[in-house]
Amino acid sequence: MTMQRIQHDEGDRTHEPAESSPFAPQTPQEVEEMLSAIGAESVEELFDVPEAVAFDGDFDIDAKSEFEVVTEIEELLGRNADRTEFLGRGHYDHYVPSVVDYLSLRSEFLTSYTQYQPETSQGFLQALFEFQSMIVELTGLPVANCSMYDAATALGEAATLAARVRDTSGSRVLVPETIRSERRSVLENYTEGAELTVGTYPLVDGNVDLDALTELFDDDIVMVYAESPTARGAIEERLPSIATLADDHEAAFCLGSDPVALALLQEPAAVGADIVIGDASVLGLSASYGMGLGLFAVKQAYLRQVPGRLVGTSKTADGRRAYTLTLQTREQHIRKERATSNICTNQAWVALRTAIHIASLGASGLSALAEDCVTTAAEAAARLNDIDGISAPVDDRHHFREFVARTNRPATEVVSELAEKGFLVHEAGEFEVQVCVTETNSGDLDDLVAAVREVLG
Amino acid sequence: MTHEIPDDLHYTDSHEWIDDGGDALRIGITDFAQDELGDVVFVELPEEGESLNSGDACAVVESIKAVSDIYTPVTGTVTATNDGVLDQPELLNTDPYGEGWLFEIDGQVPDDALGATDYREQTEE
Amino acid sequence: MNYQQATWEQETEGGEAVNEPLLSEKRMETVSHEDVDLPDELVRDELTLPEPAEPEVASHYTRLSQMNYSVEHGPYPLGSCTMKYNPKFIEDVAALEDAAMHPDRPEADAQGTLTLLYRLQEYLAEIGGMETVTLQPPAGAAGEFTGLLVARAYHRSNDEDAERREVIVPASAHGTNFASAAMAGYDVVELPSNEDGRVPVDALEEAVGESTAALMLTNPNTLGLFERDIEDIAETVHEAGGLLYYDGANLNALLGRARPGDMGFDIMHYNVHKTFASPHGGGGPGAGPIGVIDELTEFLPDPHVRKADDGSFELSEPAESVGKVHGFHGNWLVLLKTYAYISRLGDAGLKDTSAMAVLNANYLASQIDLDIPYEPFHHEFVASAGDVDAAEFAKGMLDEGVHPPTTKWPEIVDEALMTEPTEALNKDQLDILAEAFTAASRKTPEQLAAAPTTTAAARIDQTGAARNPRLSWRDLEGNDE
Repeated sequence: MTMQRIQHDEGDRTHEPAESSPFAPQTPQEVEEMLSAIGAESVEELFDVPEAVAFDGDFDIDAKSEFEVVTEIEELLGRNADRTEFLGRGHYDHYVPSVVDYLSLRSEFLTSYTQYQPETSQGFLQALFEFQSMIVELTGLPVANCSMYDAATALGEAATLAARVRDTSGSRVLVPETIRSERRSVLENYTEGAELTVGTYPLVDGNVDLDALTELFDDDIVMVYAESPTARGAIEERLPSIATLADDHEAAFCLGSDPVALALLQEPAAVGADIVIGDASVLGLSASYGMGLGLFAVKQAYLRQVPGRLVGTSKTADGRRAYTLTLQTREQHIRKERATSNICTNQAWVALRTAIHIASLGASGLSALAEDCVTTAAEAAARLNDIDGISAPVDDRHHFREFVARTNRPATEVVSELAEKGFLVHEAGEFEVQVCVTETNSGDLDDLVAAVREVLG
Repeated sequence: MTHEIPDDLHYTDSHEWIDDGGDALRIGITDFAQDELGDVVFVELPEEGESLNSGDACAVVESIKAVSDIYTPVTGTVTATNDGVLDQPELLNTDPYGEGWLFEIDGQVPDDALGATDYREQTEE
Repeated sequence: MNYQQATWEQETEGGEAVNEPLLSEKRMETVSHEDVDLPDELVRDELTLPEPAEPEVASHYTRLSQMNYSVEHGPYPLGSCTMKYNPKFIEDVAALEDAAMHPDRPEADAQGTLTLLYRLQEYLAEIGGMETVTLQPPAGAAGEFTGLLVARAYHRSNDEDAERREVIVPASAHGTNFASAAMAGYDVVELPSNEDGRVPVDALEEAVGESTAALMLTNPNTLGLFERDIEDIAETVHEAGGLLYYDGANLNALLGRARPGDMGFDIMHYNVHKTFASPHGGGGPGAGPIGVIDELTEFLPDPHVRKADDGSFELSEPAESVGKVHGFHGNWLVLLKTYAYISRLGDAGLKDTSAMAVLNANYLASQIDLDIPYEPFHHEFVASAGDVDAAEFAKGMLDEGVHPPTTKWPEIVDEALMTEPTEALNKDQLDILAEAFTAASRKTPEQLAAAPTTTAAARIDQTGAARNPRLSWRDLEGNDE
């Protein structure tokens, strides 16, 4: 139980005398000694808050014991329905090895701050430098920062970067019509302040409609964005052509992907991407109700315009290699309203987890995981396709983790009937459902197939 | 600390110097300015052929913890830039009046430019 | 104090001295995808990454962790950052399997999570004196940006967006305020502090007008001072038709004692990783919920957790929503930890938190022999290192086994040492921290220049790092200087 510590001068307040925070260690005797050293009679006296704006009410939040809080939250979260998720659409669940938890939860990592004193923060700095290096290996682009919040905000930052680096003016950003509406909404909020507008280009059979995109392209476009895999799970086959189009119009080409897909698919640098964004927390974090890790990598020419923190190497006074935050003049604490971004707190700890996850998989393990994402999606699509009333995949493309299937009944009904049977899939269109399979749910695929057969067969 | 202030140059309040000894006017930052900034790590210069108006921010000098805009004290066209400082920004620290110059501009020394004595007085304040 | 951080000095194959080799210097593997059923042009030629075995992974990161100072090592008094103890149980709560679900789950299948988020919205609204809270912004700066989007949407709804193009920010504000305003498309008007370190109401009266969209303010300000004229400030901004924005970085000083909503603020963000003890994680993740007054509720981001008529919780789109500021629902795991922390402390604990934070700062200040030009301060104070460079002073403190304060900011104090001990230090630790200040102030310039000597790395050449950026292990190959 919490102990009673301070007899506040309560005045006309009616609530019980305050109990102490379990995370503030001062004893009543220490409080007395400290007050006496300060020359104050009471702690209340230290507050310089005018009476007119002082708060003397209650929040009506009852203190609880640790056991009570844990029990309450277990009970609350237990109200989430017991469902097997076959959900993806830009946010994925891969198995996170225990070693990631045990190492990242070490308090030295977890309870440290941004590395503004590098001499005493070498460990985290090296881990972030290694994270950046892994992203460089995966993208082929030479510069990766040590995190944005998530893929959507990384895309927003990419667009404003693209506008800054252009010699000539431009006012539009093009994105695929299949982009998640949420991601597009974030992008629009980031671009509004930079006076850019967002337009879409169509896809045909799951990949970019190049003719239509060519038609739409002009010198007013500052950035074109493409995804591979797309939000519908298709591997985009026309990236080099998009890059050429962008080049012809001095627009930046931004590719959206993720570290697992990047381990298998053609290197972004090789297909002409200038910027890569994406959610790197597909490794290192569970689906976590959408919490992410914004991946952000660029070509060398954009170095000075990168948002967020960068870790570089240098030497110590005694000649050892050391790591430090660098090129900080880009950032808000120095450049203020002219900074490349307002980002300060980022997702550093998630980046640490992602790096540990990649290290523990190794090149071979990551590569195998990525290959499985192709074979599992193809197998799952084939099995659903065998059922009457459903055909899969809708898009005649190669898929990664997920695919869209056409149903002979309205997708809303199919999705809700499957949910009743304990399986969650996306509604992707009026007669389309989307199914995502990774190693965390592939063991339940037989049951899903059986349920789909019952619903549609 | 005393700073070098050559007698034959013109100066501005914002710590640029102007050398009118050549065909075009050569512009740089003063010894005082480089000392205030600390170790220069990055320089951005105007483009050759760019037209500038007096007071335009036309170059950027960065140290580890500070960013400074450089304002052209002269209206005119940029005729040359010192690409040497792009590769070796430390030249602004080691030789601010020599190899650390920034750009040359085709124009007139402004009437309000300071002489060495006035500039010395100003920096000593 | 006799202190030595761990290190494992060794040489790489290239003969370079390092503290712990990079993973890339241990074992790298290059693989290619020969058996995958995809056309060659879609597949990368090869992939090169480290290939350590699990024991090697464990050893590598354990060693790295031991070369990293943290809250649990000792005092970490970074001003404005609120580096306090992070309770362990909140990590267990975040690790619950029911917390791991996918963000696209239908509302009916996510009632537990939505209930918890709704309760957290209510708690935060009550704590801040606000009508409604959104939890979506993933960090404090994102909260600022969101708040300004809300302000812009509000002015737009009054047909005033075209005129109201300015956001006023005090010179001593956090750098994020300026940057967030610029990102939201506003011009920034900087307001200098008055002689006693606060916002000058007369200068503010001059600055506001028909072009004012908002004033951003933190209270207590970055000097730890309460803006005593807050009611006049609010009236001035409101009369000009602007909105008042509260930067919540220092809310921990006022928990249970004053609420931004009662002071006249219209929009605020909460830095839950500061005020409510979710761990800083080496720079993030945090979360930056924002609270707004009733009039602004309909502009909040989509989706917003609301209670339906049948008592269930739903994700609804506010009528005039600004749209989204995060791809999904924000940093959910951080929000969950925040809920756990607030539930544990309750009213009494929250109020005690601000009491002990302010007591600790005042006691620490009384024990150090440096000039503190502005008072009365609350949870933090800004001391001056005097004739000594504050950054050098900080390096001297590192050798005393503590983390130094924030240095050289706010600039209104010469050679600033912005110090926030938080409520989590006991008196002995505060005395150790005070001794570290004293020890550093006794060091000669030469001793400071040679510091630190007890950390894993001696003084690092920052200039070299910036002049020749090497940002990945690829940049190190054949480049050992």
